[in-house]
Amino acid sequence: MTDREIIELIDKSIAEEFELDEAHMKPEALLFDDLELDSLDIVDLVVVLENAFQFKIREEDSIQEIRTLGDIHRFVINKKKELDKQ
Amino acid sequence: MTRPQANRMKRPVDFLLIFLMNLTAPPLILLWTAVGIFLFPALFFILKAATGWNAEQITRRLIWVYGRGWLAIMLPFIRSELIGIKRDKIKPPCIYVANHLSFFDIYCLAVLPSFNVSIAIRSWPFKMYWYAPFMHMAGYIDVENRQWEDIFESAARILSNGGALLFFPEGHRSRSGELQRFYSGAFKLAVETGAKIVPLCIKGTNEVLPPGRWWLSPAKVTIKALEPVDPKSLADSSSHRLIRKTVKNMMRQSLAEMTLDSAGNTDIAGSECSL
Repeated sequence: MTDREIIELIDKSIAEEFELDEAHMKPEALLFDDLELDSLDIVDLVVVLENAFQFKIREEDSIQEIRTLGDIHRFVINKKKELDKQ
Repeated sequence: MTRPQANRMKRPVDFLLIFLMNLTAPPLILLWTAVGIFLFPALFFILKAATGWNAEQITRRLIWVYGRGWLAIMLPFIRSELIGIKRDKIKPPCIYVANHLSFFDIYCLAVLPSFNVSIAIRSWPFKMYWYAPFMHMAGYIDVENRQWEDIFESAARILSNGGALLFFPEGHRSRSGELQRFYSGAFKLAVETGAKIVPLCIKGTNEVLPPGRWWLSPAKVTIKALEPVDPKSLADSSSHRLIRKTVKNMMRQSLAEMTLDSAGNTDIAGSECSL
């Protein structure tokens, strides 16, 4: 998967799960303030990403640092590269 | 889906009704609110002595009576239809989830057969200082500022005491009239407590008092209770996401049917029952 494909899959999965307008799926969008997710949605978000990419991310410490959609893009791209190397 | 019929041609009698409604209902509601606040302490202690209920139950009962008073004031201007609101079908303990179109929705829910309902809402209604003390006494839950564990503890206690919870899973009033995205709280709670979800479809309150408008308008209001959804009856009873999607689909379909029924039956006299 290319980085572009990963980003598209992330945006599509999140938009579908939370019924968001794809026009709002911008890298700088803040998860809480702009996409209006709440703390329970973040738990669902982890499940959605795990199902989309078939790897576990809930034990990763770095997910605590995620604030924007762009942070999710970078996190998943890095994680995928890490797994591809193994 | 449930868009206000703003484009319908109004007749002179409609303008007269709007004028009369706004002339009479707001002052009566203010008076009713003031009388309610004034009488609350005395009624509280009378009910406490007479029934032995706890403070939450007494306050919920009095709020329910207050809501009924609102409805009585609005009744001359509101044509109403209740569908499936039957005590044996939707009695507590359960979790009611309703679509949200108007500030008026909350008062319409005084039609529910039980008074023992705690409302789970965002934080702003707790800023209405004339209502806030009663909301706290009734055990209403601020789902915006409290942690999930804390919300769960309060909600589980209410359900285990035979009460019900009411959520507006859209989080705020729909400005388009369309069903918005659903937040997960009510459905996660259903999974964790095993309580049934009772979907409630509200139609027409956005014609009475839509978001952003400060005057009332006569309209037909329909409230329909759908079949309760038992989390255990679903293929994956541990998935609040599945319950959320199932309930939302039921409500979307029912609201669409209610809109079609309404469009095909503009002369509704005789098919209504009182709020």
